Amino acid sequence: MEISNWVNPILLIAVPLAFAFSIPLFGFISKRVERFIPPLAMLFNLVISLILMPEVIKRPIVVSLAGFPPPFCINLFAGPVGILFSAVIALVGFLVSIYALDYIKEGAEEKYHMLYLSLLTGATGVVLTGDIFNLFVFFEILCISSYALVGYLGNRAGVESAAKYLIQGSVGSAFILIGIALLYGQFGTLNMADIAGNIHSVSPIQIFIPLVLFIVGFGIEGAIFPLNAWLPDAHSSAPSTISAVLSGIAIKIGIYAIARVVFTIFGASDMLLFLVLLGLLTLLVGELSAFSQNNIKRMLAYSSIGQIGLILFALGIGTDYGIAAGLFQFITHALSKSLLFLATGYMIYRVGSMEISSLEGIGKKMPLSSLCFTIGAFSLIGLPPFVGFPSKFWIVLSVLEKHSTLYIVFIGIVLLGTVIEAAYFFKVIQVLYFKGDTEETDPIVNKIPEASVVQEVKSSNAVKTGAPIVALIPMVILVLLIIGIGIYPKFLGDILNSSSLELLDRIKYIQGVLR
Amino acid sequence: MSFLADYIYYIGAFGLILIGLYILLTKHNLIKMIIGICVLDTGVNLLLVSLGYIKDGTAPIFSKPGLASENMVDPTVQALVLTAIVIGVAVMAMALSLAIRLYQHYGTLDMRKIKEQRW
Repeated sequence: MEISNWVNPILLIAVPLAFAFSIPLFGFISKRVERFIPPLAMLFNLVISLILMPEVIKRPIVVSLAGFPPPFCINLFAGPVGILFSAVIALVGFLVSIYALDYIKEGAEEKYHMLYLSLLTGATGVVLTGDIFNLFVFFEILCISSYALVGYLGNRAGVESAAKYLIQGSVGSAFILIGIALLYGQFGTLNMADIAGNIHSVSPIQIFIPLVLFIVGFGIEGAIFPLNAWLPDAHSSAPSTISAVLSGIAIKIGIYAIARVVFTIFGASDMLLFLVLLGLLTLLVGELSAFSQNNIKRMLAYSSIGQIGLILFALGIGTDYGIAAGLFQFITHALSKSLLFLATGYMIYRVGSMEISSLEGIGKKMPLSSLCFTIGAFSLIGLPPFVGFPSKFWIVLSVLEKHSTLYIVFIGIVLLGTVIEAAYFFKVIQVLYFKGDTEETDPIVNKIPEASVVQEVKSSNAVKTGAPIVALIPMVILVLLIIGIGIYPKFLGDILNSSSLELLDRIKYIQGVLR
Repeated sequence: MSFLADYIYYIGAFGLILIGLYILLTKHNLIKMIIGICVLDTGVNLLLVSLGYIKDGTAPIFSKPGLASENMVDPTVQALVLTAIVIGVAVMAMALSLAIRLYQHYGTLDMRKIKEQRW
């Protein structure tokens, strides 16, 4: 028959991985070719994901490798959730890699592009796989590439954050592996559908321990509240392109893994209230810490923690509407936060500092970047014509549908978090546009050691000018997407609804794999 | 006594995991922390291998006639451990190279003194 015969979801993993490792070979041909490989691979992934999307809404595609039927083989499960995530990963990865064409011009470029592609491959693999050990392997590909990319510039701040991230991340990975070992010991299988089918045949305490280990392990990568210590350091000291990908994609993968484990494998609906509480705590801690930051990238990083909390909260509501809203919020955050980081990138280049106060008057010098920043910020806050509005509105609606006083209180707290978010974003926007006419301001104590800033602004050509055209194109595309989806959110209705059904309907998932 | 004999591998594995976590929580030297991660990884690998272990079991290859599949060890976990070891080596290499860079920048490996990044 149709498309799935000639477009196989395995291409989504195989092609970027092959490109990642062939980048040094392309380097033999010409050093200039290397940087065009990541956009090419990601464009391919985006096209394939979009082709597969209508197919998987009708029926998920299960790919079994090595010719054995599932539970005996490693299988990929390309359902609506997987394809939705891989499309968003490919979209953000594509736009950010176009931005990086000009932005990355120092250090070991080919290694940057290799690591960048392998990070995105790891992320795509995690969302598509149907085998729990395979999930761990792809997760490690993602983690190791992000450790290396955080320390990519090799400056003081970067190396320190990378070392701390690595130590915390590897403890998380060890926990995940212990959880996998315990599951394998009880069920004798690694296939997620097979485990899910037998999960209620053992006593609750025996599955409780692996579940907790998984939540802790994936929670470290997802930066859920008590485990978020690495995130602000890592996201603020990496190059802006990497911050965009880490914030827009990498931390969401942790949340995806938690959702997959809790909903599909364990079917632990009594765990949901705990997730909701964790989400609320993460939201409040993230937004409150963001409010008190003087460093713009650090502020955006803390804001990511807050948004992660919001996504977790929405997923924890546990109704089909709530999960759809959570996934919508995931798309919102991926688009808006990568736009914010990209817009900030050249502003930092130009003023040579990450302090918010040093950005005074940049709205006149770099009007387009500032406009993009403003739109990204408005979208995250949830102002109407942008994509943040429908997603936050869906979350509120799904809570109201729940008819529970407890949740009404919760949504009050969430809206309080939004007010705090609005406060600190408006503070920055005010600095961008309405300050700077006043003559010199007193020098604020520079919390960032000079060395780290100097390295990032070394190329003095960029300091004089604004963002180049190559960097503006992806930002403009992101802005158009944010406004377009914001005006017509029904555009995503189908895929979001079938995604939430996939997460809720375990039986269908199990039967889909183990036919 | 038979409990100890039956579960000695699990006890050893969880002992190594706890030792690794203890090192990570109490030591401040980055190299010692990396050793802690290494011990932790070894414990997890031992746990995985001991899941599939059978006393006097053979490799799952039908090399001789008369070999019954009940006496064979589980090959899946061994494949998993192989993968996990490779991943562990990659993390270790990354960690040690970061430690070298960190020493070049700060002149110390004491994580209590390396804290320019914080709230």
